This record gives sequence, structure tokens and C-alpha cells, in this order.
Amino acid sequence: MRSFLPAVAEQLFRDIQKTHQETSQIPDDLLIALKFVFGSCALQALDLVDHHSVTCLSSPSGRKAFQVIGGSGRLYTCFASCHYCPCPAFAYSVLRRNDGLLETASVPAPSIEETRLPGGCCSDQCEKRRAVTDRGDSPRARHSP
Amino acid sequence: MTDILTLVFRTFTSQTDGSEELTGPPTSPATCSALLVGDAGLSRSVLLLAAVTAASEVGVRVVFFTQTRIQSLPPCLQKRKILFSYPRTMEELLQQVARLHEPTNTSPAPPSLIVVDGLEGFLCERGAGLAGFHPGEQSVQAAHLSALLCDSAAFLTRVLRSRSPGADPCRVVASFQSPGDGGRAGGEASAADPTLEVLDRYFRVRCTLDRAGSYEAAAGGLHEVWDIYLSGTGMADASDTT
Repeated sequence: MRSFLPAVAEQLFRDIQKTHQETSQIPDDLLIALKFVFGSCALQALDLVDHHSVTCLSSPSGRKAFQVIGGSGRLYTCFASCHYCPCPAFAYSVLRRNDGLLETASVPAPSIEETRLPGGCCSDQCEKRRAVTDRGDSPRARHSP
Repeated sequence: MTDILTLVFRTFTSQTDGSEELTGPPTSPATCSALLVGDAGLSRSVLLLAAVTAASEVGVRVVFFTQTRIQSLPPCLQKRKILFSYPRTMEELLQQVARLHEPTNTSPAPPSLIVVDGLEGFLCERGAGLAGFHPGEQSVQAAHLSALLCDSAAFLTRVLRSRSPGADPCRVVASFQSPGDGGRAGGEASAADPTLEVLDRYFRVRCTLDRAGSYEAAAGGLHEVWDIYLSGTGMADASDTT
């Protein structure tokens, strides 16, 4: 069955961008929709943006990429047109376990940054999840303070 | 990409009685990336034919990445529209693909077809450097390379359309042979290969080349017969839009 979720996500980003440009605010219903589509990593992505951890790099040719600073200080480079992140959480949750609707926190963060969202959240989800799995514990749901 | 593959199969295969006329979905974002799986030798031939077809019939620039040097080419192909590149390692391939956006590669025209022959060769080389075969590491590298290819194609598409609004998108095609893929039937081949599952995330169309019909061909006095399957999420999406 064809998945409509990527199209839904793209439309959601467009709506957020348009609303923010018009009102400088993001209404709760759009934030709730963001959380619904992306799950818990939406909050983490917003936090990355809030902490100015996402940088858009442009080359003279016009090609763009995004660099994201994780909670541990490690730098991850994400592509503008494709879902990929070199972080351990992406390799574990998305590639290996096929969890997560789309990707980890660092991947929606660039999309959110492009819409100039105010943000705020958990920063080292990637490293903590890897630490938990390395110990053999099962991953636990994380709750933002 | 399926449009070029369909043209290749239609041009270079013989139509036997009872066979369906080859048709494929129109070019769309869903069908711009394709992965060839199956016999390595045949995949390489199909990739070369796709490059030739794209350059001569469709008239676009092609970049062809392979570890195995092409020994000889017909004079009409030796210059101009097909650029052959021979990266030896995964790192070299990543660097060369990452640089496709640079002006030296987009002038006078950006490539409209990116071909990578033998993904397994680049991935195995990378994995072997880590004290043996690490399927997890290979999957991560497969994702990295595939994402870079798709991102590069997306950027080149924007360049192509900025110069000509009605231009077709930049296409990507690669071949991959799973370990032990050998002569299994196309439907079951590589079903449990985690690397192939990762590649399917980025390559929306899978083209499976299966030698299943060879005995019938021999009995009929024909050359080898190959079954070709087009599958993947890109085919479903393309069908939904037609």
C-alpha cells in the first residue's frame, strides 16, 4: 500500500512555514500535528533548533547540506533532499530496526530549521540510546523535563 | 529511470510469440532511481546499455562509476556524453559523487544519468577493513552512499530545470549483487539481505534480472532468455499517478 505520510509531512512543513511567516507564531495544532507525524523525535528536533544546533551550509553552486550538533557535541551532516543521518540512532532505529516513522531527531531538524521554528528539547538522545542498547537494556521512552 | 530501462529492453531484446509488449511507467520522481539486482555480468551489460541509450537516444550526459575499467568502447562512445570514472574505494566514490554539483561537472551541461556499477564491491571493501564482514556497517555505508546519490540527483535536477523548465529529472541507476545471489529465482533472491533492504529505501524501483527461462530458451534453440521484473514503491506510486 502506498504511503502518504511523506506527502503529509511535506505539506505540514509548508503550512508551518507559511503560518510562521505571516504571524511569527506556530499554533498548537500544527505543533501537535508535527508530534503526531514524527513522534517523540519532533520534540528533540525542535530542541536542536532552539539551541541553534542546526547549520545550513551552502556551496557556491547552490547546493545545500545541514550540519547538526548532537548533545555529545558530535557533528552530523544531513542531506537536504534525502532522509539520512550518520548518527547511531538512525543506524539503529531506522536502518536496523526499521522503527520510527521517518527518521531520528537530526533529520526533521533541518526541515524545521528551514521553516524558522522556535524550538526546544532533549539533546543527546542518539548517544543515550546507544549507551542503553550497548548495556543490553531495552530502550525506554524518554520524557523531556 | 524506468523509462530508459524500458527503452533498453525494448531495443535490445527480441520479442517472442506471446510475450507482452514492453511498457513502463512514465518518468516521475517515483521512478528516477532504480536498482538492478541479479546476475552481475548481465547487470553490468544492462547498465552500459542504459548509459549508451541515454547518451545516444535520449541525448543526455551520463556519469558512469565502476571499479572495473572498461577495456574498449566503440568510437562513437569514446568521448563527449559518457564520462567513465573508476573510483577504487568507497571513499573515492563518495568524494566523486559529492563533487557532481561543482561547475566542472555541470558545464556545459549537468549529467542527467548517474550510474554506479557493482555497489557490493564498494561496500564489501569498506566492511573488510573492519576486522571482517560487518553487516551493520555495510548497511550504514549503503544508506550513506544511496542518500548521497539521491541528494546529488535532486540537486542536478534543479540545475537541469533551471536551465530548461521542462527537462526530465536526473536519474540514478545502480547494480547490486547480494552474497550468494547466484542462480536463485528473482522473487526469492536476496530476500533477507539487510543491505538490500536499506538500498530499497532509496532506490524506489528494483529491476530484477532472472535467468529462469534459460532452459526453455535452449530447448527452443534461442540464446539465453532472461525474465525482467520491475518492482518497488516507485512502481506503485507511478501507477497511482497515471
